[in-house]
Amino acid sequence: MTDLIGSVLVLLGAIFHFSAGLGMLRMPDVYTRMQAGTKASTLGNTLVLAGLAIHHPSWGLKLLIIVYFVLMTNPVSSHALARAAHSIRIPMAGDTGIDALRDARQEAGSGT
Amino acid sequence: MTRRLSIIVAIVSFGLVFASLVVGYTEQQTARPLAESYIRLVPQELGAPNVITGILLTYRAFDTLGEVAVLFMVAASVGLVLGKERQPRSGPLADRFDEVKPSSEIVQTGTQTLVPLISIFAAYIIMNGHLTAGGGFQGGAVIASGVLLMLLAYPQYQPGLEFLGITESVAGALFVLAGIAGLIVADGFLDNRILPLGQFGAFFSAGAIPVLSALLGIKVGCELSVILERFRP
Repeated sequence: MTDLIGSVLVLLGAIFHFSAGLGMLRMPDVYTRMQAGTKASTLGNTLVLAGLAIHHPSWGLKLLIIVYFVLMTNPVSSHALARAAHSIRIPMAGDTGIDALRDARQEAGSGT
Repeated sequence: MTRRLSIIVAIVSFGLVFASLVVGYTEQQTARPLAESYIRLVPQELGAPNVITGILLTYRAFDTLGEVAVLFMVAASVGLVLGKERQPRSGPLADRFDEVKPSSEIVQTGTQTLVPLISIFAAYIIMNGHLTAGGGFQGGAVIASGVLLMLLAYPQYQPGLEFLGITESVAGALFVLAGIAGLIVADGFLDNRILPLGQFGAFFSAGAIPVLSALLGIKVGCELSVILERFRP
């Protein structure tokens, strides 16, 4: 029974990873692709490692540390990449309506 | 059309080459005589469960010393080639990075959280080199990755080059001294039996291998950090 639950979790994680790959291919611009890749793969990783932890409870602590590491690094690095892309003005998809970072920068610039 | 055709031909021929590799591959069932004697001798003579570190830091430690020397030459020559183009060191470092946009708060906070973790992980890899996969070179590279993260997140950050140089030299000298001690006390240069072998598989065991591993890790980490610092604009 526990094996089944673990396998289902791993399968769910694999589905999220698949959707991340699909998003990388199908999304229109850098920012949306990055969003698809990061969010789905973070959750996918967590689910796969959780499934492994159910399979092998003795690995639990190490897997928890790996999950913590992924949760720490993945969002930060994608944030840095997206910011870098924004600051060298990589264009957004045509129908993007809002650019919060540009607005914030302009506000900060007019404020000083 | 011809282009597409040539691409298809290239892919198919690549596939044939790799297919022949896959078909012709047979897994070796038994270890070769040399590997077998290493597998037998390392736990027996050296008391190290990790055979590879045992080989690298005892039987072939002279070779490892040569590799470290090569890395030292790389660090020195990178400094020689890239050092000339730098602005004079007298001005405050902050002036050189005035026009650089500071990294965002999220990146800085992430760095502050991650660098201690990376350092702990590096220390773990170095100190468990004789028990599990790892050792001085790998742990030193992990230390350097932490330094790289600091350099990326804080453009003004300056690792103390003199401190790194002195630490590296002291570690290298101690490594050679341990080797000479092996020459005097035990059977040969860099013999690990200058310290008691201890209980097989314990943290303090395998003679001088953990000490050599730590020295190697410190040395490699310092050298790679110096190289990274040199590559900064």
